[in-house]
Amino acid sequence: MKNTIKVQRAIKDLTQEELAKLLGVSRQTVNSIEKNRYVPSTVLALKLAKLFEVSVNDIFELEEGD
Amino acid sequence: MKDFCETEKTSLQKWSNFQLPHRYKKIGWAVVILTLILMLGKKFVDEPEWVKPVLRNVMLLGLLMVSIAKEKIEDEFMVSLRAMSYRLAFIFGVIYTVVQPYIDYAVGYLIEGKGEFERGSFQVIIFMLLIQVMFFYVLKKSTK
Repeated sequence: MKNTIKVQRAIKDLTQEELAKLLGVSRQTVNSIEKNRYVPSTVLALKLAKLFEVSVNDIFELEEGD
Repeated sequence: MKDFCETEKTSLQKWSNFQLPHRYKKIGWAVVILTLILMLGKKFVDEPEWVKPVLRNVMLLGLLMVSIAKEKIEDEFMVSLRAMSYRLAFIFGVIYTVVQPYIDYAVGYLIEGKGEFERGSFQVIIFMLLIQVMFFYVLKKSTK
C-alpha cells in the first residue's frame, strides 16, 4: 500500500516528530508508515486524514497484490 | 453458553492487554543482573539447596517484567512489533525444546562418554524470554 504522508506532512510543514506528537504515537511509527513498512490501523488512518484535512483515500492507495 | 464465551473472551482480551509501566523495564533488568551476580557468586560459597531454584525463579520474574513493561510510547506499532517478537520466541522455543536435548546428548556423549536427555523448564522459558526481548529490541532498532 502506497501513501502520501510525506507530501501531506510537507504541505502542513510538519516534521515526523511533530506529526507523531499530534497523533499520539512515536516517531518510529510515523517513519515506518511513511516508508511502507507498517500499515496503520483504521483508527490511525482516520486520525491522519482528519489532521491533514483530506480523505483516507487521498493518503492511502492500494497497490497491485494488496 | 454464548454469554459465557463472550464473557471469557472479554476477560481474556483484558488480560492479554495487561502491561507494566515503563519503569519496570529498568527494575526487571536490575533484578536479572542482580540474580545473575548472585548465581555466579554462589558457585564459590556453599549454599542451601533451595537457593538455586529461588534465584532462577526470581530471574525469570525479572525477565518477565522486562518483557511486559510498556515502551515510553506504547502505540499500535509497538504492539505489532511485540506480537511479532512473541511469535518468533514461541517458534524458536519449540525448535529449541525439540533440538537441544539431542545436542546436549551428543555433547555429553562426546565429553563424558554418556549422554542425558534432560531439558528443564527453566532453560526453555528463559530461552523464550531472552529471544522475545532480543527480537523486540532488534525490531525496534531496525525501524529507527
